[in-house]
Amino acid sequence: MDDDIADAIVGWCMVPLCLLGLLIAARAHDQEMYLFGFSLAGFTALFGFGLIKRHYDQKDQARARVKAGGHV
Amino acid sequence: MSDHVLSTAAPDYNEEVVRKFIIAGMFWGVIAFALGTYLALELTWPAFNLGFSFTNFGRLRPVHTSAAIFAFGGSILFGTALHVVQRTCRARLWGGPALANFIFWGYQFFIVMAALSYVMGFSKGREYAEPEWHIDLWLTLVWVLMTVVYVGTLLRRAEPHIYVANWFYLAFLITVAMLHIVNNLTLPVSFFGAKSYSLFSGVQDAMVQWWYGHNAVGFFLTAGFLGMMYYFIPKAAGRPVYSYRLSIVHFWALIFLYIWAGPHHLHYTALPDWTQTLGMAFSIMLWMPSWGGMINGLMTLSGAWDKLRTDPGLRFSVTAVGFYGMATFEGPVMSVREVNSLSHYTDWGIGHVHSGALGWVAFISFGAMYYLIPVLWKRERMWSVKLISWHYWVATLGIVFYISSMWVAGIMQGLMWRAYDSFGFLQYSFIESVVAVHPYYIIRMVGGLCFLAGSGMMAFNMFMTIRGPQPAHQNTGRGFGQRLAVAGE
Repeated sequence: MDDDIADAIVGWCMVPLCLLGLLIAARAHDQEMYLFGFSLAGFTALFGFGLIKRHYDQKDQARARVKAGGHV
Repeated sequence: MSDHVLSTAAPDYNEEVVRKFIIAGMFWGVIAFALGTYLALELTWPAFNLGFSFTNFGRLRPVHTSAAIFAFGGSILFGTALHVVQRTCRARLWGGPALANFIFWGYQFFIVMAALSYVMGFSKGREYAEPEWHIDLWLTLVWVLMTVVYVGTLLRRAEPHIYVANWFYLAFLITVAMLHIVNNLTLPVSFFGAKSYSLFSGVQDAMVQWWYGHNAVGFFLTAGFLGMMYYFIPKAAGRPVYSYRLSIVHFWALIFLYIWAGPHHLHYTALPDWTQTLGMAFSIMLWMPSWGGMINGLMTLSGAWDKLRTDPGLRFSVTAVGFYGMATFEGPVMSVREVNSLSHYTDWGIGHVHSGALGWVAFISFGAMYYLIPVLWKRERMWSVKLISWHYWVATLGIVFYISSMWVAGIMQGLMWRAYDSFGFLQYSFIESVVAVHPYYIIRMVGGLCFLAGSGMMAFNMFMTIRGPQPAHQNTGRGFGQRLAVAGE
């Protein structure tokens, strides 16, 4: 499987998990579920942003290599 | 010629995720040992419970066991498994870097969530399976993904043969998934509430719990770390496995026998006698594969014993195999019903568990880490070999203090609890047995402090190695040259 496609699938999977976290936090019956829900939402959001950052970092590195006279 | 060069060139291995797991393993190791030492302090002087709900023994104990087993052991197992499968299959991890990254961060998320839930007072009350249902579901997701990545990498291997270490790692991944799912079949009170109730009840519930509990020892703390042994001891010693045939026999015998041994945790309970006897009989049969594996690990050093003088990392691995032999001798002895009548519920059990956890699990991990850190960060060697030696002796001394004090305390407790006077009354009250073991609890705490100090040395050594400069010529870590083709490569 192509790494880019695999990374995109993982990234999109974070969206429903993040929403699920928010739902759990909103309807939580106890402190534990409240904390877990918010943590899940925060974790998946951060992970998603991390994936986006990593993607553009790689693009920047590739551009820098081209500028330096190498090839991609 | 160029085709040949292409076909033998190493793939672009995903080492980033392995590095992360090794750092996490070190971090959680120090936390687990520190918590263990603090709990030993609480048991010795109960005032150290401090009067807060979140610092009492009942809440911190599962934090310690989960930190040691899942956080420290699990991180090292996942990291080394992902390293070994890539190297022995000559294949990059299946699924791409994002999936590997999700497995790492998802697993750390599980650890943090479980620890927080314990200190907040949420627990299913099942040993080594304390997290409530929602955290269990999260772990299932991460675990299944890890297994998929592992199997996917095996399937895309460039080597025709699957090296034996992979068999052990695979057994660890598949069996723990099965154990975790069945043992944690619960009915939540609400989808938005943490509390849940087991699907099983009564003695069936106890049986399922100890089927899980003992096989967590068998497949998490034994099979996985045996995979580590079969890869890292040959690599560090520069020798092939003593008997590859014995390693295969070891694997199948261990896998077949371990799964039946759980009922020995339920001697003299409502569990039918025949089930208890079955568990006992299979436990005794486990001597054979356990010792076969130990002999195979030790004999791999044939012709390379001199390396123990100069490579303290290898010394950790070999001592670990010795402790593996000792703990797997003691376990079957304790599973015999008559011995169990003395040992059960006493500190002998705690000593037994820690001879396995500290002597086998932690030492084989330390040995693998001392080999792997220079390889992963492309260094010549660890920052200080002398510090590794100090770590070895301080940690060994700590284990000796710990297990010998617990043996004495445990046997004494067992004997005091069963002693009758001439009138048929119990000779000792329970509190007398508590007072009697107090000095041994202090010795245990000193042992824990030694082990913690050793792990601090290791963390510092690791930090300095990673921070230190790379050598001018790359790929000089021990894994890259100067050795025979061993361990599946």
